[in-house]
Amino acid sequence: MSEGQVKSKFDVQTIETTGHDPWADFREVEKLSLEFTQQYRHSLGKYSKFFIELENKKFLATQCGKCEKVFAPPRPLCPDCLDITIWKELAGTGTLETYSVIHFSPGTNDDVRQLETPYVLAYVLLDGASTLFPHVLKTDLDSIEMGMKVKIEYTDEPVDHPIHLMHFVPLEDE
Amino acid sequence: MNQSKHAPVVVGVGTTKFASERPDGNIRDLMAEAVLDCMADADLENLKAVQHGLTSYESDHFNRQMTLGAVLHDQIGLTPLPNVRIEGGGATGALALRTAWAHIQSGLCDSILVYGCETNGKGISSKTANQLFALSADFDWEMMVGGTYTAFYAAMIRAHMKQYGTTEEQFAHVAARNRSNALLNPIAQRGMDVSIDDVMKSIPIAEPYKLLDCSLLSDGAAVVLLSTEDWARQHSPKFKDRPAVHFTGTGCGTDTMRLGDRYPDITNFRGKQAAAQQAYQMAGIKDPLQEIDVAELYDSYSGVEIQAVEDLGFVNHGEGGPRIAEGMFDLDGQLPANTSGGLMGRGAPVGATGIVQAIEIVEQLWGQVDERRQVANAKRGLTDTHAGVGTMCVVNIFERQD
Ligand SMILES: [Zn+2]
Repeated sequence: MSEGQVKSKFDVQTIETTGHDPWADFREVEKLSLEFTQQYRHSLGKYSKFFIELENKKFLATQCGKCEKVFAPPRPLCPDCLDITIWKELAGTGTLETYSVIHFSPGTNDDVRQLETPYVLAYVLLDGASTLFPHVLKTDLDSIEMGMKVKIEYTDEPVDHPIHLMHFVPLEDE
Repeated sequence: MNQSKHAPVVVGVGTTKFASERPDGNIRDLMAEAVLDCMADADLENLKAVQHGLTSYESDHFNRQMTLGAVLHDQIGLTPLPNVRIEGGGATGALALRTAWAHIQSGLCDSILVYGCETNGKGISSKTANQLFALSADFDWEMMVGGTYTAFYAAMIRAHMKQYGTTEEQFAHVAARNRSNALLNPIAQRGMDVSIDDVMKSIPIAEPYKLLDCSLLSDGAAVVLLSTEDWARQHSPKFKDRPAVHFTGTGCGTDTMRLGDRYPDITNFRGKQAAAQQAYQMAGIKDPLQEIDVAELYDSYSGVEIQAVEDLGFVNHGEGGPRIAEGMFDLDGQLPANTSGGLMGRGAPVGATGIVQAIEIVEQLWGQVDERRQVANAKRGLTDTHAGVGTMCVVNIFERQD
């Protein structure tokens, strides 16, 4: 390297070619590593009451006054009637309708907790609801059965996103 | 409404080689390569007679570049022509073709270059890639609870298994067959000779889906030049040399963002059923299994092909698994599917996927694919492409006019 010449810190690869190559003059390719982070002021909008009440260990759905459908996750607007819904508390018990045991998860964002694999993503029909609510089911993997009864368990630990204030656990026979 | 008499024709097609990484170029270079390939295919010296551009790409994040519509339109020399960029998640390329269909049918233009690409391969880490794909789920309600796309699809196929008795071996058949077909496709990213047992023994990702049940992340580009029949006769010397292929039908159906909101209909893709019915009506198809000769199906996960053959009306609901396992959709079956290798073997650079699916069908109808995967006397073919967990579905139909 001669005086004054700056050594490139970048990665340059020369692509091998064989035979007639129309791109023969363009076979050196340089690559650089770039980082890009974003910060959001993420609004939970008219869904907020659901998350606020999770802190009080209450599970809220919404109900349409016209068709009486009960939405969990909540919808502020009934998509069938376009009627503004009202909040309705559910007991927090339900039935496992389908699920997947996740062995590989890319994580969500670097700034929220990573779940330890394997874990269960459960779709639960909460008693009184018309739709399925997806969340983690904490249980012994061998004991999972389609149709099993589950309930919401709340946590007091600090969380990064209020949806993490809850998860599902098996409903023990009482 | 049977529009096939006036339907747009395919003037030419072009693709790059698909790969997990194309170290020799970035997205602009891939686009140029596919456009040159399309010009060679249609025997065009330049694109000066083309009247409109249409850019097909899904994500601004993979290249740190918004407005790729403008960047690529410029790259391939289409300025000052009008342009429009189309985004429709996984269905982006198919939605782009559907939009181009409407541009021609409305009389807005007589010819339109539909060019799509994506670099979903190794330009970013696979962790970042999966995080970006997860952004296309419902952030607060599906993604923050630890959901992954593989898991949403897995929960869906598990409901299908419970309702209809569908088995893991049945969807492993799709994973093995499509990878094997890809061995016969020179542009394919990763053809593989794997057995059903190999698929069953691959590591679990989100049960019941295992590594070999999942499709590929790809770099690649694909181009289709559509026009009126008059424009094609006037401008492409090649047009009279091969059978005219018309774009005779297109349908689009949607469903809720979240799978759980579709309860109790969580085993199948309602949006796909709607898209297929629209496309069949437009193309005058009454019995799709009998009237369609070759199909490219959206095998983002192996079981999705089982659900697709049901939702497209090839077989009844619940029969997809057994019929697939019997070989009905294999190369030597009644309706060969994913002769290209599908998303599993050929690859799936999102903005190019629906376009390269159409290219496989068109080349099948022209009779110009490798003879080992050529479907004899294929006259009519279908592409099935969707976004999300079937949140938006597009079905396009192409027909050879003899
Ligand atoms: Zn309502």
